[in-house]
Amino acid sequence: MWDTFIVTPLTNVLLWIYGIFGGNFGLAIILFTILIRLVTHPLMASQIKSSQKMQEMQQSKKWQEIQKKNKGDKEKLAQEQMKLYKELGISPFGSCLPTIIQIPIIFGLYQSIMRALVASPLQLLTLTRSVYAVFDTPALLPLNSHFLWMNLGQAPEKIFLPFLTSGIPNPTLAIIVALTTYVQSKLTMPPSTNPNDQSAAMGKMMALYMPLLLGYFSLTFASGLSVYFIISNLVGILQYALLGKVNWRNLLPGAKKEAAKSK
Amino acid sequence: MKTKIILLISGALALGLLLSGCVTGLTPSSWPGISADGATAYVASAAAVYAVNLENGNELWRFPEKADAKRSFFAAPVLTPDGQLIVGGYDHVLYSLNPQNGQVNWQYAEARDHWVGSVLVANDLIYAPNADYNLYVLNLKGELQWKFATRQAIWATPVTDSQRVYLGSLDRKVYAVDARTGKLVWDKALTGAILGSPVLGGDGRLYVATFGGDVFALDTANGEQLWEFSAGNFVWSAPVLSNGALYFGDSNGNFYALNASTGAQDWSLQPGSPILGAPLVTGDHVLFGTEAGNLYAVDTQGQNAWNLTVSGKLYGAPVAGSDLILVAPVEGQSLLIALDQAGVQKWAFTPVKK
Repeated sequence: MWDTFIVTPLTNVLLWIYGIFGGNFGLAIILFTILIRLVTHPLMASQIKSSQKMQEMQQSKKWQEIQKKNKGDKEKLAQEQMKLYKELGISPFGSCLPTIIQIPIIFGLYQSIMRALVASPLQLLTLTRSVYAVFDTPALLPLNSHFLWMNLGQAPEKIFLPFLTSGIPNPTLAIIVALTTYVQSKLTMPPSTNPNDQSAAMGKMMALYMPLLLGYFSLTFASGLSVYFIISNLVGILQYALLGKVNWRNLLPGAKKEAAKSK
Repeated sequence: MKTKIILLISGALALGLLLSGCVTGLTPSSWPGISADGATAYVASAAAVYAVNLENGNELWRFPEKADAKRSFFAAPVLTPDGQLIVGGYDHVLYSLNPQNGQVNWQYAEARDHWVGSVLVANDLIYAPNADYNLYVLNLKGELQWKFATRQAIWATPVTDSQRVYLGSLDRKVYAVDARTGKLVWDKALTGAILGSPVLGGDGRLYVATFGGDVFALDTANGEQLWEFSAGNFVWSAPVLSNGALYFGDSNGNFYALNASTGAQDWSLQPGSPILGAPLVTGDHVLFGTEAGNLYAVDTQGQNAWNLTVSGKLYGAPVAGSDLILVAPVEGQSLLIALDQAGVQKWAFTPVKK
């Protein structure tokens, strides 16, 4: 089911793009990522909207009063919170549901990239059986997995240093992935004036951990995934910018302090 | 707050595990490669290379002794005239083993991708095709002599007439290179990736099957096309040449016999299940396996001599070992099955987990 409805269609879209753009698989991943981002854009926009509403509610006097009033009674506080959500037209799942919907797409996308990049005869057999009849399979396969300096179907090549003769994976891609993830997290982090704002603290933590995690994935997994991460991050920044939600000040600590002082 | 941190870390770990699951699920794998001398069969299958006694199907040794997730083997091991067993791994390493005990003589670790195809040993050299697009040529001590680059992975074993080496690449080309220097003599673009070895005829002809579903006869002198035959679908393996006839199957489940001189079809069979492995000509019979697990033995006119069904899928070619026929099914109950010439099972080998 997962294969029929997610991985196989995504693989065929990827192959279609690959065929159109002259057999460049790196370019196909880039365009495929942009396409997926465009398709999921309405979900993302609704997630941003919901998050903003939620944040506004948390900063509102009314919510703070409710919190004070029901300090010792968690059940009552939850009831009041739900009431307030209804009043302000906020869906409690509005900010996380779009993210949850995107997760299978990300996994499907990764699996489709890996499926397309065959590394053995058995994988080629599996791929030929996933390709829709409209394609001229022998003309299309096997794909050329080289893009710039990378083999997209493999983890980064090892580099050997005089003091590290056993070699380490080339960190170039991992650094770019970590950097773009960090920049995206910082730029898309909503401003917070409340020092006790838990979601802001979480956001800060995510901005630190996610680049490290995705950087580690980029060192370990196929380079095609790293290309996806990088493009996805850059397109994400662009999407936030188009929605007017990018906080450029977050990248410049000096500017942030000044902004805080002026307030 | 603490709960949220725990949730966050758990989420990140779950993401990591799921992604690693995607990767593990797609770890390159293939069907076993078999070779045999008079007394021993060598089977490269996933975690190990096994040496099996042809008399009784007992394991003699395995390499490596203990399974290692980083190592896997699928290319058929090849014996050299000076008593080495050469086998390439999906760990990018080419090993020379002692065929008596599986001990490593030397290893070559400079290639950057899997060793999918078996090596060719000729002219005191090892011609080793690698998926990193290169044909590596080593001496019998494992020292690189030269290498030849193509534009895609090389999965098929090359062939040689001593003067030149002929190799097919997934870049859809056949290359003829000088067997001593590696200098390109000619190349010829065909209709699809070349997954199986080219076949040399004794009359200056080279036969090549492609993933595009065609079989070509080329002039070894210059690569000029002599004839072309279009099969129904992808041709995965090398055709086999015997007594002026070319035998091969396709992934639509058709099996063909062609006149090697003209390319005209002598006869064809439709077993109905994909045929991926090369056939084996032994005695008066032509044998081929199908994905459905059927092994067919037909005479040179295509008349059925016998057939049987084994547990699993027969993707690889049947191999002759001593007076036995060896098959290694994928997803079957046994790793290696030995049959006599009448198709009666003599023994089956299933490795014991270590």
